Amino acid sequence: MTFIMLILTFAAMYYCMYLGKQGKTFKIRTLPAIQAIPEAVGRAAEMGQPVMWTPGIAGGLNDSTQGPQTLAAISILEYVTEECVKAGVKIAALCPLPDALPLVEETMRTAYTAQGKPEEFDDEFIRFFSGQSAYMTGTLGYLQRERPASTILVGGFYYESVIIAEGGNTIGAMQIGGTNNIHQMPFLAATCDYMLLAEELYAAGAAISGNPDALGSIKGEDMIKLLLVAITGVGFLLGAAGITFIADLLGM
Amino acid sequence: MSQLIRREAVFAITGIVTVLMFVEYFFFPQDWIVASTIRNWAVIILNISLGLGAVRLIMQHVIGTQRRRENWQFSLLFLVAFVIMLFTGLAGYLSTGVATSNSIYNWLFNHVYTSLGATTYAITGFYIFSAAYRAFRARNVDASLMLIAGCFVILSNAPVGEVIWSGIPVIGEWFRFVGQVPGMRVFGVVGALGTIAYGFRALLGKEKGFYAGGAEE
Repeated sequence: MTFIMLILTFAAMYYCMYLGKQGKTFKIRTLPAIQAIPEAVGRAAEMGQPVMWTPGIAGGLNDSTQGPQTLAAISILEYVTEECVKAGVKIAALCPLPDALPLVEETMRTAYTAQGKPEEFDDEFIRFFSGQSAYMTGTLGYLQRERPASTILVGGFYYESVIIAEGGNTIGAMQIGGTNNIHQMPFLAATCDYMLLAEELYAAGAAISGNPDALGSIKGEDMIKLLLVAITGVGFLLGAAGITFIADLLGM
Repeated sequence: MSQLIRREAVFAITGIVTVLMFVEYFFFPQDWIVASTIRNWAVIILNISLGLGAVRLIMQHVIGTQRRRENWQFSLLFLVAFVIMLFTGLAGYLSTGVATSNSIYNWLFNHVYTSLGATTYAITGFYIFSAAYRAFRARNVDASLMLIAGCFVILSNAPVGEVIWSGIPVIGEWFRFVGQVPGMRVFGVVGALGTIAYGFRALLGKEKGFYAGGAEE
């Protein structure tokens, strides 16, 4: 059943991506957190202070559940960096994940190059912290010393989310958060001005690119969501009537 | 990094590894040697990247110390600590084959690093408290409902809750297990779908983050 559902999901996404390629436009719900990024960068430009981006420590790329969050956060980093380069704002990427460092560096370098200012990129913009405690205290120290105008906290977070986000609140930074870690969502929701919840984090890259076939994959995902809701609803009603066909099919 | 390596090579490796992992997951009841070897490679690469991180740290702090940047004393402190930990660990490893056999290394790890880590962990409670204070202000109907639910959950976890009214723990438990769990499961399901969609886009070369900005436009 899992295999069939996965193939069905891929087929729905591929079909919608194909439609996107053929020129069909998909209306995707706007993500306020993504729309707020230019505002966050603009705020930093007005205040003459930097923007901080950090992906959390949970998302080691070797981790199948956490790693994709870091990759999605790097997609957002590229957009943030491009906006910062356009506005002449300094960006600091505080990365506690050694395996993500080359990707972070290359993404930022590419963003500077794409904006025609490769000479302005300095790898000192990227700071590495080894270990969770060092990451938290280092980031809090950075927040107090540099006082960034805006912080972008997107990726796989553990309990450092509340400490870093509260540190950002203390200095009055505008905060955009996002994670797929259920246990950390309440912390970011309580401390950030804008929030990317669960799949929104993954959809952000596609939404930023505006690429019609990438947006098609989100449409395909929505179709599968509808299917799952229908299966759940029908399964619930049949189960109440004593028919366990769907529950048996799903191996419940 | 050339465009060829950044996109085509990553694209090809991703495709091959994905197919191998799929085949193992769905068609091999136990570990398949090909797939498990690739996973071992991933672990090795990850550990090499730790060295990369260490080199970056050393470079930044050496430059910071040389140029007498602001707070350069902390950079110097870091370098001294790094050298001490490295050499005490190596000394233990060379003498007995186990890095943790060196008493200085152990003392520094257990009485400095671990203590500082535990202290950092302990202050989380205060941050949660101030975050909760901000979230629990009754600014509108939604926040007020959350405040009421939060009060029941807090009181149900405190012995005094049951003394005030025996129904408080019941309502608090209801919020925790009936009110909260379905919502969290929804996030779990859509998050998993989002991961699949992200992986699919990455596989087809549509995700910029995956290709360090070099994805197909």
